[in-house]
Amino acid sequence: MKYSVLFIASILIVAVFIAGCTQQPATQQPSTTQGVIKVGVIASLTGPASNVGTNMWQSAQVAADKINSEGGVTLKDGSKAQIRLIVGDDESTQQGGQKAATKLITDDKVDILVGGYSSAVTSSYQQTIAEYKIPYIVTGASSPIITHRTDIDTSYIFHHCPTTDTYGQYTTMFIDQVVRPEVNKKLGAPAARPFRLAMLYQDTAFGKGVQSAVNNTITTGKLNIQLVSQQSYRMGESDFRTPLTAIKAANPDAVYLAAFPNEGAPIITQARRDIGLNTIFLNVENNDNAQFYKDLGQYGEGAIIESRFSPYVAPVGAVADAQNEFKQSYFARFGTFPDMMGASTYEGIFIAAQATKNAGTTDKVAVRQELIALNMPQVIEAMKDQTCSFSPDFRESTFDLWMEQLSYNATLGETRPLIVWPDNLKTTDFVLPSWYVAGSSP
Amino acid sequence: MDNLGVFLQIIFWGLYAGCIYILLATGLNLIFGVMKIVNFAHGEFLMIGAYITATIFFISGINPYLIILLSMLALIGIGAVIERFCFRPILGTGKLNEIFLSIGLIYIFQNGAAIIWTDEWQSVKSPYDGISLPFGSLSVPLDYILIMFFTAAIICGLYLFLKKTTIGMQMRATSQNRKGAMLVGIDVERIDVISFGLGCALAAAAGTLWIVSGQIFNPYMGSIPAIKAFAIIILGGLGSIPGAIIGGLLMGLAENGAAFLLGGIWKDAISFVILIIVLVVRPTGLFGEKGD
Repeated sequence: MKYSVLFIASILIVAVFIAGCTQQPATQQPSTTQGVIKVGVIASLTGPASNVGTNMWQSAQVAADKINSEGGVTLKDGSKAQIRLIVGDDESTQQGGQKAATKLITDDKVDILVGGYSSAVTSSYQQTIAEYKIPYIVTGASSPIITHRTDIDTSYIFHHCPTTDTYGQYTTMFIDQVVRPEVNKKLGAPAARPFRLAMLYQDTAFGKGVQSAVNNTITTGKLNIQLVSQQSYRMGESDFRTPLTAIKAANPDAVYLAAFPNEGAPIITQARRDIGLNTIFLNVENNDNAQFYKDLGQYGEGAIIESRFSPYVAPVGAVADAQNEFKQSYFARFGTFPDMMGASTYEGIFIAAQATKNAGTTDKVAVRQELIALNMPQVIEAMKDQTCSFSPDFRESTFDLWMEQLSYNATLGETRPLIVWPDNLKTTDFVLPSWYVAGSSP
Repeated sequence: MDNLGVFLQIIFWGLYAGCIYILLATGLNLIFGVMKIVNFAHGEFLMIGAYITATIFFISGINPYLIILLSMLALIGIGAVIERFCFRPILGTGKLNEIFLSIGLIYIFQNGAAIIWTDEWQSVKSPYDGISLPFGSLSVPLDYILIMFFTAAIICGLYLFLKKTTIGMQMRATSQNRKGAMLVGIDVERIDVISFGLGCALAAAAGTLWIVSGQIFNPYMGSIPAIKAFAIIILGGLGSIPGAIIGGLLMGLAENGAAFLLGGIWKDAISFVILIIVLVVRPTGLFGEKGD
């Protein structure tokens, strides 16, 4: 018995040790608390969302490096403070999120928080944020509930990414104005023909948020779009063949996916390869990710992604150079490209630095006031009026979005995006692929 | 697609999912049947098998269906080491020790795999990607037919091994009565190693077939299938190989049927609803016997 206890104890110690080995180094900057702004980054370093979470954490490091290399942040007394990042792994779970947020706030005593990807995970620790009144710039969780909910105090939370309401509406408008006319043209159908849209969404606040936005946009805009099938799946699912079979049976003209990249790529692959669902797949912006393109291969041909930052394309205009500089810095350090959540987290660090600089102190009340009053030039993403600021009602940033269509590059064995909407940003027109099969009434 | 076509398609996806479950649950049941240990880390052997196949495939480009054998052989070795140095010392010291040991192994294997292979999602492209065969009114990708064929072949091979070979008979004897087996001269510790290794090899086969079907994978892929494998062996009857086969098929069909009829969020729940009903009606599971 004694032997067994010792043996199991040693196994547990080794397990904890190895678990510790996989954690990213907590800090990259000076360890002194003098002249340091401690920024906690909450990201999914492990679990189903680890790909995006790692990208967010690495982007935060690139931002901190840039700020620190330029001298840091000037405080009220004229001293310069360096940004010191401390990462909290939410493990892609609600429990993990609660642990990470509590540790960053109570143990590491961070001055400000940045990050948060899954809306379900992020909402699970909002009570902790409210209790300790820590300014938190959410850069990944896209459900509007993050700042709209009324059951807890969200006044310290600032939303620096488009919400599901915004991009759900935007994508539905694209379908109505661009995809629907093209399908009607292909079919030789009258403009009155209803567009047959199907949805496959993650059964979380994020997925339901997109579903709700699409339904609301169709209803309020009186759009000629008919939702012929709405299927859901649990987060982290890998086998989508059955809901895709149900969708195919409904004969859709296009399928809108509210999925994470590690779900979106297998959905499209299984749909086209296994089910023979040769249609247009529309994806939400978090799929604009290098791993997504790699996993999709040729099956991504013709697919659409709503986007605001892409590893492989930049809109013409003011932000192109800044985006390229960020991508090059990121690639030089990590050997891969940043994704959209990485981009907004990169900006989140700059916003945290700017608000602290404006406040002249790390006092949380003062920093919150400066976040409310923020009016700084856009960093790398195209913002409304080219300015980073938060709306007075729900403290949300407003981005300029665009739609990309993927084109297969046989040499690379992957697809690459081209901007097809809106007119002021597009580099080419949306086209229906030659293999596309339009829906029809069953 | 007509209603019959949709129905047949859902049945087909259920059978495919059932194949993966059968291999995983049969391996788990083989280990439980002989050693009576609870190994929550069984899904991690599926994950390691998947990564071994993927690594050999990425390096050599060999047909992944051929790599199944290599992956299974590798897992026999890994399983034997785990049995010898982890489970054997605690055998008979209580279920709590086994549970904590297997939980520790989950962390070790997951984090070890993350260090070796990173925790990025990965995928393997089957050489038969894009090839479909007419199957009645359906057009079925060749990969899924191959997956069903390999599952049937492996299970038949296991059946023959257990029925026709001396070691197989010794494994069955040990499973039926461990003390009796010892009394008639069977080296039960040797049988434990072989059983554990074979159970892990079946998990490796499940992992390989999982990834050649185009599903993406990372070091955490084994957790959910392991939970389902436990549900299957309880449903089918602890220690019963036919129970694992029927339970696996039932689970695959029920999950896909529920996802189609009730929605995707019922996919996991329905398995446990069936499990509860079966346990209430027949507490030993479908093929279980009293005492297991």
